[in-house]
Amino acid sequence: MPLLGNFCLLFSLALAVYCFGAGIVALLQRNPASNRLGETARRAGIGTFITVTGAALALVWAALNNDFSVAYIHDHTNRALPIPYKLAALWSGQEGSLLFWSWLLAGYGFVLRLRHKVDKRLFAYSSVVLAGIQIFFLLIVNMSANPFGIMDRVSADGNGLNPLLQYPEMVIHPPMLYLGWVGFSVPFAFALGALIMKYPGEKWISITRRWTMVTWLFLTCGILLGMHWSYAVLGWGGYWMWDPVENASILPWLTGTAFLHSVMMQEKRGMMKTWNVWLVFTTFMLSILGTFLTRSGVVSSVHSFAESNIGTWFVGDPTRFIPGFLPIVLLVCLFFYIKNRRHLKAENKLEALVSRESSFMFNNLLLLAACFAVLWGTLFPIISEWVKGQKIAVGLPFFNNVNLPAGLFLLFLTALGPLLAWRKTSWASIRKNFAIPAAFSVLTIIVLMALGMRPWVDAAHFYALTAFALGMLVITTITLEFIRGGRVLQGKLHANLLASMLHLLRRNTRRYGGYIVHFGVAVIFIGFAGSAFDKDTEQPLAPGQKMQIGDYILVSQDATIDDNANYKSYATTLDVYKGGKKIANLYPELRTFHISGRPDNEGQPDHIVANHSTFKEDLYVIYASPTQERVPVIKAMVKPLVVWVWIGWLVVVLGTVVALVPNAAPLRSPVAVAVSAPVFESKEMHPAGAVK
Amino acid sequence: MSWLRRLSVVLIVLCSCAPLALAVDVDKARYEKLGGKMQCTCSCSQPLLKCNHVGCTRSEEMIHDLKASLNIAKNTDTNVLDWFRHNYGITAVVEPGTEGFELLAWVVPPALLLAAIVLLVILVRKWRLNALRLAVAEGVTDVQFDAQRARARQETEL
Repeated sequence: MPLLGNFCLLFSLALAVYCFGAGIVALLQRNPASNRLGETARRAGIGTFITVTGAALALVWAALNNDFSVAYIHDHTNRALPIPYKLAALWSGQEGSLLFWSWLLAGYGFVLRLRHKVDKRLFAYSSVVLAGIQIFFLLIVNMSANPFGIMDRVSADGNGLNPLLQYPEMVIHPPMLYLGWVGFSVPFAFALGALIMKYPGEKWISITRRWTMVTWLFLTCGILLGMHWSYAVLGWGGYWMWDPVENASILPWLTGTAFLHSVMMQEKRGMMKTWNVWLVFTTFMLSILGTFLTRSGVVSSVHSFAESNIGTWFVGDPTRFIPGFLPIVLLVCLFFYIKNRRHLKAENKLEALVSRESSFMFNNLLLLAACFAVLWGTLFPIISEWVKGQKIAVGLPFFNNVNLPAGLFLLFLTALGPLLAWRKTSWASIRKNFAIPAAFSVLTIIVLMALGMRPWVDAAHFYALTAFALGMLVITTITLEFIRGGRVLQGKLHANLLASMLHLLRRNTRRYGGYIVHFGVAVIFIGFAGSAFDKDTEQPLAPGQKMQIGDYILVSQDATIDDNANYKSYATTLDVYKGGKKIANLYPELRTFHISGRPDNEGQPDHIVANHSTFKEDLYVIYASPTQERVPVIKAMVKPLVVWVWIGWLVVVLGTVVALVPNAAPLRSPVAVAVSAPVFESKEMHPAGAVK
Repeated sequence: MSWLRRLSVVLIVLCSCAPLALAVDVDKARYEKLGGKMQCTCSCSQPLLKCNHVGCTRSEEMIHDLKASLNIAKNTDTNVLDWFRHNYGITAVVEPGTEGFELLAWVVPPALLLAAIVLLVILVRKWRLNALRLAVAEGVTDVQFDAQRARARQETEL
């Protein structure tokens, strides 16, 4: 199987090179023969997917059959590992995850090449760009990080999978994240392809937007699954640590989000073409930069793969004049931008600071500022080492302090945006539309302060109160938008308000799906704000003893120690009482996974968190460790509103799916109007998705 | 007058204790401030003062060292943080300082955002003035603009 895997990888590389080379030649020559050549290039691209799939299957087969002659399988699996986690071995190490990356990229390319009839020429350009990216990753897996490396001596058992990865969500989280990261290659391929060919019209941008939305959805799911895994598995009670790997995932997400907003300005008003193209370029380059940061060992991270030499592939080696992938991509983008920049000339310009366009601009600036702050904080240790010779660590306090104000301002814009009209909005209209949401927001502040919130006590309380107030502002604005739209339709449809609102949603899925996403974001922020009121306590708890945290009393019933082939387990059973009434049984557990070759045969500990979750708060309990007398030490935390983070996430997913669904009925076509004013002759307006 | 003397003594004692109490508060605040800038180096990556899991090989010792270093009068915050970096490794302190080169970490992101916003406002102003100049040159009044806007809004929005 390793031989077959290696053969598939080499053959994939050859096919990708052919797809790239023949594709370029076909695009440069415009004759019937070149069309046939282009078709062979497309088929070679499809073939790449088949051969990379063969390589991925060979690795999975080796994992399922305990083929410890393969070094990667030996390092990341063992015999006792359950089958789903053996499948997860594909992405649990450096070499495997790079193969997985190549496979996903080939998969995206496969779909793109199958759909070439949508726009043959644009898809041909995009196919060539994708093939270029594919070659890069296939070169790495063939030459520098080959997953089919053979052991000198075959062991009877492997090292096993990292215990922290042995959790159901871990079978879903990395693929989602990779689908997001890799997926940004497709919008990049379209944007670069459209720029190279000077694509006439705006159709390419609507194709790119849909691909970006799908990719963004995957990345959002990946990030949130990671947050949930961190919360449910790591046992520290948090969900975001601003670790460099987490930062690497949020960077393209931020620029991708910015693009999804600013693209509307291009579709509606032919503005920000250069900006949008560079947002897509930046998003792709950030996803590659993130990969470089986490795999080269230049930044310390709890997720990082071991330090390796693959960093040179990404950034090159200036001392030996070896160009890396990132500088090449940047140069290619710059070259074609400079060459064809006239094609990106905006048809309109911003006319007023108080307008929908302007709110998108500020939204973009804030998202990019947040992206820069995260990138700056992540790279600052490297920069400080270059400048001062000392690596200054940057962690949670810095990122929270820098990004919280930007996040809250973005939340404010989320509320304000829907109330602003395109081109220009009058203050009277803002006052009229904003009065009710603002009143609800002020009411929220009054009620929360009456309930005991004191924003002047510390910054966390101030930010929490602001988040609650702005969250309410967003929720009210969006609800009113639905009601307002529903009422307009109610008269025409003669249906009830709810049915009218549903009809409204189906008629303009993109707009109202977007509102649902914003609603979810507001709910997530409300969940985040709850962390200002966290409580925690810790104590040894022998059977029969009890401990108190907040309104909860935890009574220990028993303590057990168990051993199986995969791990040793320390567990305890806790009865939870609230107001004198038993409300739950919790079973916090500590597992120490067996590692072959270790004298004590016990490896890394892993907490199985016991969580009693309600809409109000989570009672989060972990078995911290046993004392020397084998008494369980229990750490309990009360974490208000955490569940709203996950609910908000589901709402975001729902909203994105709605936005991806085509409109049920086409919107009313604009009535042909004889426009008398000459200014409109020179500055036409293009409805969404219109081809000029 | 003995009661008056006793009251004076009590007041003097209270007054002399006040700065002491204040000092305790200041120390506590400083302890929490500096503790918040550090993380436990046992690999749990939790903020130092929140890492209280039993069996942690580092946090207890680090907290002890933090308290001890705060008791040394001549130690400035920078000294304390540098000492931790030196003795517990670079990852012990996770917040850049507010002096010298480290200040850049804090200043650059907001400065860049501010510059971008100022640039945007200037650009929009310039574009708006250009559009108005063009409209005046072509004889299009604000009233006509508003009428066209209202019509466009009606036709393109719901």
